[in-house]
Amino acid sequence: MLTIRSTKHTRTRRVRALAAVGVALTCALALTSCGGDDDSGGGDAKTLRLWHYEAANSAMGAAWNEAIKEFEAKHPGVKVKFEEKSFDQIQKTASMVLGSDDAPDIMEYNKGNATAGLLSKQGLLTDMSAEVRERGWDKLLSPSVATTSRYSPAGTMGSGKWYGVPNYGEFLMAYYNEDLFKKYDIKVPTTFDELTTALGEFKKNGVTPLANAGAEYLAHQYVYQLALTKADRSWVDGYELKGKADFHDADWTYAAETFADWVKKGYIDKNTTSATAEKAGVSWLQQKSPIIFSGSWWFGRFQDEATFDWSSGVFPGASLTPGSGGNLWVVPAKSKNKELAYDFIDITMSKKIQNMLGNKGGVPVAADATAIKDPKSKELINNFNTLTKNDGLAYYSDWPAAGFYETLVSETQKLMTASASPEKYLDSLQAAYDKGVSKG
Amino acid sequence: MSLAAPRKERAAGARRGGTAPLPRRGRRDSYALFLLPGAVAFLLVIIAPFAMNTAWSFTDWQGVGDLTWSGLSNYRELFHDAQFWASFRHSLFMVLSMAIVPTVVGLVLAAALFDFVAKHYGSKVTTVLRACFYLPQVLPIAVAGIVWSWILAPDDGALNAFLRAVGLGSLQQDWLGDPDLALYSVMGVMVWVQIGFPLVVFMAGLQRVDPQLYEAAELDGAGWWRRLWHVTLPQIRPEIHVVLLWCTIAALKVFGAIYVLTKGGPGGATNVPSYFSYTTFFEQTQVGYGAAISTVLTVIILVLALVGLKAQTRAEDVEEGRAA
Repeated sequence: MLTIRSTKHTRTRRVRALAAVGVALTCALALTSCGGDDDSGGGDAKTLRLWHYEAANSAMGAAWNEAIKEFEAKHPGVKVKFEEKSFDQIQKTASMVLGSDDAPDIMEYNKGNATAGLLSKQGLLTDMSAEVRERGWDKLLSPSVATTSRYSPAGTMGSGKWYGVPNYGEFLMAYYNEDLFKKYDIKVPTTFDELTTALGEFKKNGVTPLANAGAEYLAHQYVYQLALTKADRSWVDGYELKGKADFHDADWTYAAETFADWVKKGYIDKNTTSATAEKAGVSWLQQKSPIIFSGSWWFGRFQDEATFDWSSGVFPGASLTPGSGGNLWVVPAKSKNKELAYDFIDITMSKKIQNMLGNKGGVPVAADATAIKDPKSKELINNFNTLTKNDGLAYYSDWPAAGFYETLVSETQKLMTASASPEKYLDSLQAAYDKGVSKG
Repeated sequence: MSLAAPRKERAAGARRGGTAPLPRRGRRDSYALFLLPGAVAFLLVIIAPFAMNTAWSFTDWQGVGDLTWSGLSNYRELFHDAQFWASFRHSLFMVLSMAIVPTVVGLVLAAALFDFVAKHYGSKVTTVLRACFYLPQVLPIAVAGIVWSWILAPDDGALNAFLRAVGLGSLQQDWLGDPDLALYSVMGVMVWVQIGFPLVVFMAGLQRVDPQLYEAAELDGAGWWRRLWHVTLPQIRPEIHVVLLWCTIAALKVFGAIYVLTKGGPGGATNVPSYFSYTTFFEQTQVGYGAAISTVLTVIILVLALVGLKAQTRAEDVEEGRAA
């Protein structure tokens, strides 16, 4: 907006007198650098500026669209100004934007130490602990879901003040192509041993059993899940919350060796080293691989696009699995309409919106079990509820330190191509982890 | 040339009877006004960010919040960072694929188009061919990169499919996923991207070479390659200098192609300084360290550009001296 306006402004000036261009440009640049606050709506309590990055056809996008409508109906005279941003855009510019006067009144933000934790530490987010208790949101969220909502003064999740509220949960699970299992007469696994048997059977039939993406999160999530099959809660807490991980312990060693072995045996295709997550999802949808182990965020899409019979479940034999509360609603410290922002969050936590989220293929945190109609969605939500009841959410492997994601991707690629041994792989992870945690 | 203008001005001043200095200064002032927008923009867009970036490189900072002065520690860390040196090594490979190979190939192609194709097939064919070679320069790198990543994809990529179709299935590779191959695959794409620029510049340069030189060489019995070496090459040396310098700088700061094709992977095999700086700065939010990387990169490019320009000026001086 502003850029267009200043360009036009400059253009008219140029016609009048060439020499004045310098002055005009200086003005325009100065204006831009001030950020132009005439767009921001101000604290007039008539506009709620909202940012989120969920696609309109996703479960969250649909539910929140409905929440916006309901909010406007309940607040006559208040307009919600939704500004669509991309995940990347918010991820890379949040700290700068939230420090300026352009901060929105409420926004969706990625949870974790490196993201929401960092912002809370810098004082860019509003402490909403009082509001959470008053409106009873804490009672709707199970403790392992609420872990990512609370941050210590050092920005570490798990304890301290409330800086965000999630509307949904997410976790990793195995998606099985039932048709392919039937075709090769293989049993859909429920235990880890059955899984390894199934992997071997598929390979014998010339089918690569596991869909994978080396250039993104899928590959290192296999590794983390393998470690989790051996680990317990205190191991997870040490790794995720306390900055105390020993990558050469039995669990990590087992995970790295098993993963490398699966690649060697062809359970995971070496050719997926540079593949993206999108490609992995598509290869499962195209029935190239019968199993993909990835997030519940695929669920809605698979429901729409899979042309075969499929089912899903927690990773065979795992009581701990990667997962957490979903992304957070946060209220920037510079929000001009905090009260309206809280009202909006309250609506997103209402039964109506939560049920809608569930019926659209999301994982609601406070839905009515009876209101979910689709059997697949019911199973999904049940799996999630079982996990949270048993304290089984183990967060994600890239959370402990800012930038650890890149290290995990890059090092796991080396493990896949055998340019690093499991031992060397774990050495590199330990070095990056220690460095990241100490800087944290 | 340089003497002509003042002489004219002096003459004009004399005719106006001694009032010359005033309007001249006035004119110079109004010229200065024309420079103002450029100067302001340069200050705001180049100098100020560069100064800020350099200042940040001496700090330990996450982009928000407290900024701690850390002196030279980022540079010390950089010096011992194997990833950083690897990225610079890859940069040298990029110089090879984006400056040296395109210059050499571009020169031969330009001479062939100008000398052979234009003579035998007419200028229309030459123009079409030149446009074809130049096309990759017009395509946005994001588009070209995505198309290339499809072509080079391991399972269903066009290149592997082609190899299968012609019975060379054993040569199929994971072009961008194999750490031993990825850098060479990217280099191949970059040659393709870059080739049009030297070609067009050299063809323009060839227009001003005196055809008599070729005729004389031909009469003396020089073949095509010897004419290229002894006539074309010395004649368009200024163009070669410009192209080499320009392409080397482009190679050192290459970012878009890496971002789209490999994101520096697999396992850092195609990481280059600008991409390394970007991930450190934005994704790992180590602003101080990222700033140090880009400062070093800027200094290297600056030094290289100055040395290149100096060498070019010297060569031109020598040439002019010889001509005089």
